[in-house]
Amino acid sequence: MSRTITFSQALNEAMAEEMRRDPGVFVMGEDVRVSAFGQTAGLVDEFGEERVLNTPIAENAITGAAMGAAMSGLRPVLELMFMDFTMLAMDQLCNNLGQWRYITGGQYTIPLTIRTACGAGMRMGYGHSQCLQSQLIQAPGLMIVEPSTPYDAKGLLKAAIRSDDPVIVVESKKLIFGGVEGEVPEEDYTLPFGEAVVRKEGKDVTVAAVGFMTYEALGAAQALAEEGVDVEVIDLRSIVPMDKETLFASVEKTGRLVTVEEGRIRGGIGAEIAALASGEYFSLLKAPVQRVAAPMVPIAGSPALEDLYLPNKDTIVRAVRRTL
Amino acid sequence: MNGQNDILEALYRRMILVRFMEETHDRLLKEGKIQLMGHFGTGQEAVAVGVTGPLRQEDILFGTHRGVGEFIGKGMAPKDIWLEYMGKKDSPCHGKGGLHLCDRERNIPGLVATLGSDFSIAVGTALASKMKGTDQVTLYFVGEGTCNQADAHPSMCMAALWKLPIVFSVCTNQFCELSYMCDHYPTGDVAPRAAAYDIPFEIVDGQDIEKTYEATRKAVEHARGGNGPYLVEYKTYRMATHFSGDPGTYVNRDELEEWGRRDPIVLCREMLLERGILSEEEDRKLRDGIQAEVDEAVEAAFAAPDPGIEDLFKDVYSGEGVIQ
Repeated sequence: MSRTITFSQALNEAMAEEMRRDPGVFVMGEDVRVSAFGQTAGLVDEFGEERVLNTPIAENAITGAAMGAAMSGLRPVLELMFMDFTMLAMDQLCNNLGQWRYITGGQYTIPLTIRTACGAGMRMGYGHSQCLQSQLIQAPGLMIVEPSTPYDAKGLLKAAIRSDDPVIVVESKKLIFGGVEGEVPEEDYTLPFGEAVVRKEGKDVTVAAVGFMTYEALGAAQALAEEGVDVEVIDLRSIVPMDKETLFASVEKTGRLVTVEEGRIRGGIGAEIAALASGEYFSLLKAPVQRVAAPMVPIAGSPALEDLYLPNKDTIVRAVRRTL
Repeated sequence: MNGQNDILEALYRRMILVRFMEETHDRLLKEGKIQLMGHFGTGQEAVAVGVTGPLRQEDILFGTHRGVGEFIGKGMAPKDIWLEYMGKKDSPCHGKGGLHLCDRERNIPGLVATLGSDFSIAVGTALASKMKGTDQVTLYFVGEGTCNQADAHPSMCMAALWKLPIVFSVCTNQFCELSYMCDHYPTGDVAPRAAAYDIPFEIVDGQDIEKTYEATRKAVEHARGGNGPYLVEYKTYRMATHFSGDPGTYVNRDELEEWGRRDPIVLCREMLLERGILSEEEDRKLRDGIQAEVDEAVEAAFAAPDPGIEDLFKDVYSGEGVIQ
């Protein structure tokens, strides 16, 4: 049986179910008892304050504390409220979290899940709006996933909590606040990391999108269909590991590739995919890879400037046309 | 501690082992036989050995870069330390740790490279002990230089807020890397900072093994009894320079000589002789035996195999292989 729930409810259900299933799972972070955006709302009523732990405002230190609890065999789910705030925890995230298992020769594992909300469009200004996924892809030993539907959100978060490796789950604020709804089964399920999904099949151009940008890509595909261009839209779902097979199969068919992310262009996810494509199947490409991403500027407080900053359906349409 | 001659003799033995391990490291470096730089804790042995003396095997220790004192104190075998220092395949970390010692069996979860990163990680292991209802204590051993890291504050805050079983042991050796403590601190003591978080604290003579042991024993008992954190500051003097090869041009020679007269090993030896616990002859034999133990461990490590290409990609993730 499945029913329709919101993105935020899916995340909430994933945490509640895993906390019921495993007494070692607990939630910690700033204001998680009240929950600023609602993902952890109500958990404290069922699981009590000990397992829904409000922390001081100290991102690097609470990340370290969650790591310590995880290396002692618990399975914390840490919330770093805004992705911008992960930059305060970069020491733990990039120097320690993903490297601990290797440096200790496998003596210690860190089964830690970190949830963080990204994205602009909420008129929150420069330091509460960024998508900084590409800052984290350089760190070894981490998994990074970004769901775009309630079904994926629940399945990926549950898989993250059960994983013995550290996983960062990126949650787009537009999906949380936008009240995006979708079908989610009542039965227990998880989704594997590293599996992209084709949201729309097409034969002319491959558009590989991350998170919320999948919806913009689908909008672009619809607009382009009216011009007779048949776009295939891939929702990557998992940034590390990346589903290279699905990307390859699609480009083998279309010969054209456009990447779409909300983060900035320089050294971004699109740059990684473009390098992969040119290094591994250059001969399949009929046109240069196009990257759709945010420009290398801060996010302004002005709604007009914020809208100009963001990649959208129209910028994707233009990028697709450049490949034709 | 009067009457506990066996404990005192065991602590004395460990202090000599620490001194000989580090002197041997220095010699091997100067002879060009090993490559790993050393940060020695000469003169601080009564602190490192005294703080670990009261710990049980199941208690968790976070140590520092400065020498092997606390690791020997917690029971790490000289052979394992040399295997790790030489990067050998059969070391506890399979050649991955280097200076960063880790020994799961003895509950030493690892040694961070960015000073103070582990302040909060230690809070996390203590949090896990409390949540799991074990009676383990985490001992966080740290130098005064590192106590200026920002994370010291939220870490002490969380430890006190959640009443965690953790002891903060601050080894004040008068130097912060290549500077005197007075270049880094407006105060002479670190310990009163604990009062800001309502953590009880004590300042003790770090040259006297009986005092360091006893102060730590009381602090550990306090933490194990569910009374929350405790901080002890040990006043000592780094008779070595910051790293092997540092000529120590900044060191006041008169002061070094003065502290040298209170060498903790010499003080302990005099006490043991005076109380008739040890004779001159027994002391000679003891020292010869310890040096032989160190030499044997060094030889065994030299003869041990290096890791190979099969180890390069191992233990990044809990599953097989590495994600590129």
